[in-house]
Amino acid sequence: MKAVETDVLIIGAGPAGLAAAFETASRGLDVTVIDESLSLGGQLIQQTQNLSSLPSDLSPMRGFELAAHLIKQIEEYDIRYLLGHRVIGFYQDGTIGITDEVDVFPVKTKKMIVATGAAENAVAFPKWTLPGVLTIGAAQTLINRDFVKPGNDAVIVGSSDFAMDVALQLSEVGVQVKGIVEKSTGVLSRNTEKVKQVNKIGIPIYVDSSIVEARGMGAVEEIVIKQEDRVFTEKADLVCIDGGRSPILDIFYQLGTSFGFQKELGGWVPQYNKDFQTDCKDVFLAGNAAGVSTQGALVLTGRLAGMNVCEALGAVSKETAAVEKKGLWKELEIVETKYNLDIWHARNRHVDNFTHPVLKDQFIS
Amino acid sequence: MDKSTIICRCEEISLEEIEKVISNGARTFDDIKRLTRCGMGPCQSKICNCLVAAAINEKTGTPFHEIPLPRMRMPISPIKLDTLATNSTTFSSVKSVLDEVELEDGKVR
Ligand SMILES: Cc1cc2nc3c(=O)[nH]c(=O)nc-3n(C[C@H](O)[C@H](O)[C@H](O)COP(=O)(O)OP(=O)(O)OC[C@H]3O[C@@H](n4cnc5c(N)ncnc54)[C@H](O)[C@@H]3O)c2cc1C
Ligand code: FES
Repeated sequence: MKAVETDVLIIGAGPAGLAAAFETASRGLDVTVIDESLSLGGQLIQQTQNLSSLPSDLSPMRGFELAAHLIKQIEEYDIRYLLGHRVIGFYQDGTIGITDEVDVFPVKTKKMIVATGAAENAVAFPKWTLPGVLTIGAAQTLINRDFVKPGNDAVIVGSSDFAMDVALQLSEVGVQVKGIVEKSTGVLSRNTEKVKQVNKIGIPIYVDSSIVEARGMGAVEEIVIKQEDRVFTEKADLVCIDGGRSPILDIFYQLGTSFGFQKELGGWVPQYNKDFQTDCKDVFLAGNAAGVSTQGALVLTGRLAGMNVCEALGAVSKETAAVEKKGLWKELEIVETKYNLDIWHARNRHVDNFTHPVLKDQFIS
Repeated sequence: MDKSTIICRCEEISLEEIEKVISNGARTFDDIKRLTRCGMGPCQSKICNCLVAAAINEKTGTPFHEIPLPRMRMPISPIKLDTLATNSTTFSSVKSVLDEVELEDGKVR
């Protein structure tokens, strides 16, 4: 593999990265997209639920349909795809180290858009490391992408929108969902329609509850649940952990960007300004890496990052960019406030904090 | 939570071990890492990071925004040495960990 030089390197080919690829490639820039997976679409591939809060130019569709749409949109452009490739680190002169698992080779880029998504958080309890205990996203990947039924009797720990979606999807493929365990005093999902559906098919939701322990020889067999003073045991060969998600930060950390803490956005988030530009001026970001949000918002942040890179590289005029960016921020406000007002507020606080980040120069320790 | 609960699954470090080093003065993820190997497994702290932050918060009351991130080094994810020692002629990829050491007046910073 030879060294690559490009105008724009997009790391991560999920909704945010693909949207950014369209913005930049359609304006004539030389674009390279890298993803460690062999296909485009990121986490959208296994999302079979209907996405409702999408930008106004997109009609409601399912996650994998959105991936197909975003991929089709960039078909006609001459984009360099490095699929099955990983970013392994950065060198002092700005070169990016990439591997195809055979060699390591350098990429040089004028601008970079990091759209590496978010990772699921763990929830620990005694014996949570037994086989059969998975993150909820892993369970979803197994049933929807790999067509593998991960178990027969499931208990879900956590009650976000995502947990409701996967509870329904597991039921559809014949997994008996024995219960949803939530430590807060109420269900976290804001999607009342989904919660209703879960109730309707008879999945109990235990609020104010926690896992005492998992039990089993070599694999999970049962799970002990505590609800107030009541302790009871459910037989389960599948436990799905929904601990929320946090932005994936390793690339930003190595690049030396600052970070700020916003609980609603998933914890530590790279610091960025209204242009989705970090304090390393050639590094932009988008998607869940810029704060965990809903798919519609992720697409819009990808478009915004793409538009700003176009402006920085002179592919659009300042005037055009100003108009486009205003429109995109307006849409982001509409989509994100409709989904979750707290996330929209946190994003704005985060952007306002750009000039006084909490965690800075952390690489020198 | 039961003290025997595993916090770092890669290195099999329990809550008890983490709490012990916190009571000995460890305050950040990296302090705990240096004392226990927590975070040094194949996932490079991607799984235990948030659990350790929760343990620090629980034990010391330090708010989450004051608990810094663990240091994330190259390579970002595990890679075969064979691959890292690539025969690519355009790029020298193998770097010693010593390349990261910063010197000031001949001393390590
Ligand atoms: C298993 C799983 C299932 C999910 N299902 C749902 C759901 O049903 N509903 C919902 O609302 N949300 C779901 N999510 C959340 C999901 O993260 C977002 O909906 C959305 O896909 C995020 O978009 P993104 O573009 O920011 O990141 P992603 O879609 O995650 O794309 C990031 C891409 O970057 C690549 N990448 C990361 N690091 C590197 C590197 N170092 N080198 C090269 N490539 C790299 C990854 O391979 C990935 O393809 C799920 C998350 C997971 C983990
Ligand atoms: S869980 Fe701690 S290093 Fe992987």
